[in-house]
Amino acid sequence: MAEVTATTREPGPYRLTEEHEMLRDAVRVLADERVSPRAAEIDRTAEFPQDLRKLLADHDILALPFPIEHGGLGGELLPVALAIEQLSRACATTGLILMVQELGSLPILLAGTPEQHARWFPGLASGEHLIAFALTEAEAGSDAAAARTTATKDGDDYVIEGSKRFISHGSIADLITVFAVTDAEAPRHRRLSAFVVEVPTKGFAVARLEHKMGIRGSPTAELAFDGVRVPQANRLGAEGDGFGIAMQTLDRSRPGVAAQAVGIAQGALEVATAYARDRRQFGQRIGEFQMVGAMLADMDAATEAARQLLYKACVEIDAGSPEASRWSAMCKLVAGDAAMRVTTDAVQVLGGYGYIDEFPVERMMRDAKITQLYEGTQQIQRLVIARSLLGKDG
Amino acid sequence: MAGGIWVHGELAGDGSLAKLSTEVATLARSLAEASGEPLTGVVIGSDPKAAAATLADYVPRVLAVAEPETAEHAAGTIVAQRLAALIAEHEPRIVMTGAGAEGRDLAGALSALTGWGVLANATAVRWDDGGPVATHNVFGGKLVTESALTGDQGIVTLRPNAITAEAAPAKGKVEAVTPSGSLEQPAVPIVDRLEASGAAASIDDARIIVAGGRGVGGPDGFTLVQELADVLGGAVGATRAAVDSGWIPYSQQIGQTGKIVKPALYLALGISGAIQHKVGMQTAESIVAVNRDPDAPIADFADVFVVGDLFEVGRALLEQLRSRSG
Amino acid sequence: MRIVVLTKPVPDPASGAERLGPGGRLDRAASPAVVNGNDEYVLEKALKLVAEAGEGEVILLSMAPASAPETMRKALAMGATRGVLVTDPALEGSCTVATTRVLAAALKTLEFDLAFAGVDTSDGVAGVVPAGVAVLAGLPYLSYAATIEPNMGARTVRVNRITPTGFDVLEAPMPALISGTQALGEPRYPSLKGIMAARSKEISTISLADLGVDPATVGTAGATTRVVGSRKPPDRAATRVIRDPAEEAARQVVAFLAKRRII
Repeated sequence: MAEVTATTREPGPYRLTEEHEMLRDAVRVLADERVSPRAAEIDRTAEFPQDLRKLLADHDILALPFPIEHGGLGGELLPVALAIEQLSRACATTGLILMVQELGSLPILLAGTPEQHARWFPGLASGEHLIAFALTEAEAGSDAAAARTTATKDGDDYVIEGSKRFISHGSIADLITVFAVTDAEAPRHRRLSAFVVEVPTKGFAVARLEHKMGIRGSPTAELAFDGVRVPQANRLGAEGDGFGIAMQTLDRSRPGVAAQAVGIAQGALEVATAYARDRRQFGQRIGEFQMVGAMLADMDAATEAARQLLYKACVEIDAGSPEASRWSAMCKLVAGDAAMRVTTDAVQVLGGYGYIDEFPVERMMRDAKITQLYEGTQQIQRLVIARSLLGKDG
Repeated sequence: MAGGIWVHGELAGDGSLAKLSTEVATLARSLAEASGEPLTGVVIGSDPKAAAATLADYVPRVLAVAEPETAEHAAGTIVAQRLAALIAEHEPRIVMTGAGAEGRDLAGALSALTGWGVLANATAVRWDDGGPVATHNVFGGKLVTESALTGDQGIVTLRPNAITAEAAPAKGKVEAVTPSGSLEQPAVPIVDRLEASGAAASIDDARIIVAGGRGVGGPDGFTLVQELADVLGGAVGATRAAVDSGWIPYSQQIGQTGKIVKPALYLALGISGAIQHKVGMQTAESIVAVNRDPDAPIADFADVFVVGDLFEVGRALLEQLRSRSG
Repeated sequence: MRIVVLTKPVPDPASGAERLGPGGRLDRAASPAVVNGNDEYVLEKALKLVAEAGEGEVILLSMAPASAPETMRKALAMGATRGVLVTDPALEGSCTVATTRVLAAALKTLEFDLAFAGVDTSDGVAGVVPAGVAVLAGLPYLSYAATIEPNMGARTVRVNRITPTGFDVLEAPMPALISGTQALGEPRYPSLKGIMAARSKEISTISLADLGVDPATVGTAGATTRVVGSRKPPDRAATRVIRDPAEEAARQVVAFLAKRRII
């Protein structure tokens, strides 16, 4: 009889387990007590919160995306999403610390050798090292395959030339996963290869930092590669695998963006609800006005719908669903739009107070916008979903 | 079976009768009257005389058992063994004690030795259908339950401050009893006694308690709480949040994992009234609360609820009370 | 050092959803279960002591319905080594006497240096089980602990027992049973590693037959007490809300206190 090897997990039961709830609550307490009091200052100063990075490391939160044998907590998507959601509910910049750690590491997880895992994961799981993901270029955003940065073989090394733009944590990371063209003549999806660049290294420079509308504490960098030499041992997968690795990475990382969006929406909903309960006009609490009550109800329903789709997507992707791209695109699409609408409505509920920095909802509204943009705009998500639909029949 | 209701007289640290035991004795007397059961007090200790004499103010007959072992050993298990031996000899039906630390230790050990059930932490007890029926506040005061024994014999523990003690019209007799038999359970020596440093006025029996919560903001804020307690002649209490923050010692904590109090006035400053705290103070005769949050749960069970800054209102209150008393 | 911690799953007092079911018994489905608050304090102390000793284990012992492992996982996530659950359909409706007997019998099957229990539970609030278990297990009993200091060399343990004026310092040989209070210190939050590790920790179950306890002596059948009635407590009089400025508010409070003859 042939040996049967199970490579996919059974889908989880349709509710959070006790373990998930414990994990979520543990992060929530930390977010409420330690992250929330820092959020406004992080936004105002636009400085990366090294103290909160350490907090996340000390409490094993940065270990979530990594395999247990390398000091991680297993890397299942749902626990990662629960943690990102709770952190982002308090501060989207802090949620992004975990998101980028996952995003940058996924190419190693998906395409790396056991030696590469053992080499990089322990430092990343402990939070000692940060990692960034460098795919986007000034002229290659949604069209990632159009990248121009090159990696040229030279003896046992590759030499990288070019630049990357909009790279979260690009200026503070110790490792950067870089996608570069190794064969310009190959078909579109076979042009790129993926490399892990350990910085600082000769020829690498941070060209500039962006001034952003939201997630202001998270540094977004333009990176210059001027003859950066990386050994062949730092290549992930085979030459030409880069584009496929990047797309698989995004299938697993987009739920992280959705989790950030759900967290931001939940945070705004809570502020708006508390305000509607306290604020009195015309002799009554404003929440008792039907127009305000209805807004709150819609905000709650939209947030919960996005959350449930997110949790389901995590479980389906982890179970090896062949529709991973569809699930991950759908949850980010729905959650990003929910976050934008819920935060905008939260500002509306607070009226003039919502528009000033005395309350956090204006920050949340600015933070929410990025979830409709990065790791694929909402338009790209719709493209992915439509292809999945039409491809089935066609 | 001989029958009867017994009251355990608990010794305070100085050898006098604990106040809680006078409350238990008063309740036991009403049960004895209702049931016709004979009433007996039992005091067990290295020097039971003084406490036995006080207990005789409440019950017609007191057994004073001189047990030298309790002088230098934790009392609960020893007292339980002596009581169990006396029960075997005299066969009473009901043993009543306080639901404080001493009474609970005694009741637990006695229950294990006799197999008798415990009607625990009663706020009131009546005699009905041939036995005691105990009233309990459960689920943080959301529900009142009544429970009874399934057999003829059992133990009742009474919560502190549940009833007002009242002496009997006539003083009872004290009989000295010499314990017999050996103590089988391991005795635990008391190797030292420590006074708690800076022990504040006890909240257990205070007529007025001024209590502070998280809203007080820190140890400095408790100065105002203390000043108000001083001018009112009361004691300072606190919530778990204030105790956990290290602003005030655990001995002053009121609530689920602290003490249960029933003062004439409970003045709550910066206390939200979460269920865990409410359990400890909801039976206060009058509750006055000052809180900035108009939706604080304490607004639902205070007699007077002031919406405002506790420092502003507290200082105004302090001035007016001082000018009144001065 | 090996410490057994008696833990009880109780309805979450913060949920506000506790209620009684048929026969006056606790309706466990009505509200989420948590580890009893006082048990968490002794568990925290046990975890610290074992960590300081550098070796040993913390074993949880519960008597509870078969659904209790979920709650026990929380205590395991805090760092306990393994759990022992006494569960049997016949135990439903057990009184404190039966609970004491069963826990004492289960304790006798374990090897340990110290056994800890919270001074009482938030659902029953009887506070009589720890003393009873000590008696039936023949263990020295040290109650209302504010501090616990074991001496493994001498195989003794010292406890500061809370008294109305301070502390009695108690000392006993191991093994001993200690009931502890909140004064032992705040319980930790489970770490994420602890939470993830908890799922692979062992929870063994014991039945009444394993302990040789007659089912007729426990549960509703063997109960020494029974609930005969329940009612909602009488409402307090309506709250008088004062929203005036401090001076005026204070004046009204003083008037209230005078009217009630408090001052």
